[in-house]
Amino acid sequence: MPIEFEKVSFVYEPKSPFRHDALRDIELLIEEGVTTAIVGKTGSGKSTLIQHMNALLNPTSGRVKVGDFVNSSVKKERSKDLFSLRKKVGMVFQFPEYQLFEDTVEKDVAFGPRNFGASKEEALKMAHEALLRVGLDESFFTRSPFQLSGGEKRKAAIAGVLATKPSILVLDEPTSGLDPASAEETMLLFEEIKKEGTTLILVTHDMDLVLRHADKVVVMDEGKVVKVLPPEELFQTDLSDYSLDMPKVYAFARKLQERGWQLDMKDVRDVPGLAKAIKNGRRAS
Amino acid sequence: MASLSLGRYVPYRSPVHFLDPRTKLFCLVLLIVTVFLGYANYSTTFLMAGVSLVLVLAFFLMTRMRFTALLKSLKSLWFMLIFLLLIYAIMPRSDNLDWVAFFIGNYPIYWASILDALKILVRLMLMIALSLILTASTKPLDLTAGFEWYLSPIRWLGVNTAAWSMVLSLALRFIPTILVDVERIMKAQSSRGVDFQRGKLSVRARALVSLIVPLVVSSLMRSDELADAMEGRGYDPRAKRTRYRKLAFHWGDLIAVLLVGAFFGMCVAMSVLSFDPFLEWFQVAVR
Repeated sequence: MPIEFEKVSFVYEPKSPFRHDALRDIELLIEEGVTTAIVGKTGSGKSTLIQHMNALLNPTSGRVKVGDFVNSSVKKERSKDLFSLRKKVGMVFQFPEYQLFEDTVEKDVAFGPRNFGASKEEALKMAHEALLRVGLDESFFTRSPFQLSGGEKRKAAIAGVLATKPSILVLDEPTSGLDPASAEETMLLFEEIKKEGTTLILVTHDMDLVLRHADKVVVMDEGKVVKVLPPEELFQTDLSDYSLDMPKVYAFARKLQERGWQLDMKDVRDVPGLAKAIKNGRRAS
Repeated sequence: MASLSLGRYVPYRSPVHFLDPRTKLFCLVLLIVTVFLGYANYSTTFLMAGVSLVLVLAFFLMTRMRFTALLKSLKSLWFMLIFLLLIYAIMPRSDNLDWVAFFIGNYPIYWASILDALKILVRLMLMIALSLILTASTKPLDLTAGFEWYLSPIRWLGVNTAAWSMVLSLALRFIPTILVDVERIMKAQSSRGVDFQRGKLSVRARALVSLIVPLVVSSLMRSDELADAMEGRGYDPRAKRTRYRKLAFHWGDLIAVLLVGAFFGMCVAMSVLSFDPFLEWFQVAVR
């Protein structure tokens, strides 16, 4: 399912001194199967943008189309079936562990499927499947989510979103606050899910994640989409305008280039890629 | 979320905004007492309610609050009206017995019952509107400073008023933070298929649990962190404190107190003397 933004603007609290133009005339197409990263400064409108994909916010003007679901500023044009939209578009918000509330982990994860109409047994089955996927085994099923460690809570919360098997998965800073090993595990999980045909949308400040996982980057600034391009092109341009960092591996490769080592920057997406590029490179004559 | 932001402080520059919080608190108390005074008869009561309403609307205009806020407060009072009507209809009356509005079966419903219910409703609405004006035009911190000033006499009884007002200001300070939390959790649960607006009672109750449990958890965590942060900065509830913002009483405050005081005096006099303007005017007209 592609997501299309047609001239979407969004204003928080219009007609008040708190008025804030969060999105201005967004024109954007997010294709199916393409992992899209959305980057930009704090307050550039990333979170507002993704909330339109799930009809958590209705545009102030313009239209958002998610597959055949229409989310419009005009009430009459809006599709009614919010349920099937939210089933198809899963959202992992920042610090999703705050959404846990049930007395056992399995019940919490089954909450989504139950809401979307699965029977109790089906929902539990889906919950178990999702929990195993994120790496929480049977011993966790009947424990209280509040007794888990931070990383385990995060996994349980992610399972709660995966359990409904969304075809688009929106991730808002999925690795923030996790230790490096858990962050790595989490991203590997999302890569796997992507391979099964789920479209990933990734909101993050971590440019290493962007370089490694994204096929396309949407750069936002002050409520506007300023650039849509592949990550390797993005990091060739001047990043300081949008206060983005250079990914570490990329910065390293650039330093090598400056000192006269020719290497193929296309390979440089993560540490093994960097190693390969160095190996295949040669000293400029 | 709009309904939750009812009565939130909005930084306009109006005469009401510039008043000292102590003045505003004092005037609020006087006006609320006025609203709840009993008058000679129904027509006078509703006349005075009308006068208060005009006053409230004038304040609304002055502070640039939206009238929809008033309507919204009415919306939540809808239940109250039905409840009050029921109570008054069931209660036996000794007055106005021949002024029957209609019969339900053989049971008479008196106009007096309906008017009494309406009277209470109008009073509640006015009280809510007045409080909204106070909170919309006063910074929470100023409001607590005002409260603390009024509490200061009991400091001599050994009550730690500074700690109380700290508790109060923290509570007020965290309202917007908790509202942000509410919104965040509601959104997270909505994307898991919760519908907070519709559904059967049992479904709605469940939806509410999915909101309240995380909210309580995060609030407890927040207060824990806050307590640590305060201790880390050496907060001592018994220490003597100075103020960054000093409250100052201006000429405008005096004028406001005098005006509201005069209005209050007039209403009390009318109430005590059972003054009926309609009767008086009628007599003057006849003479």
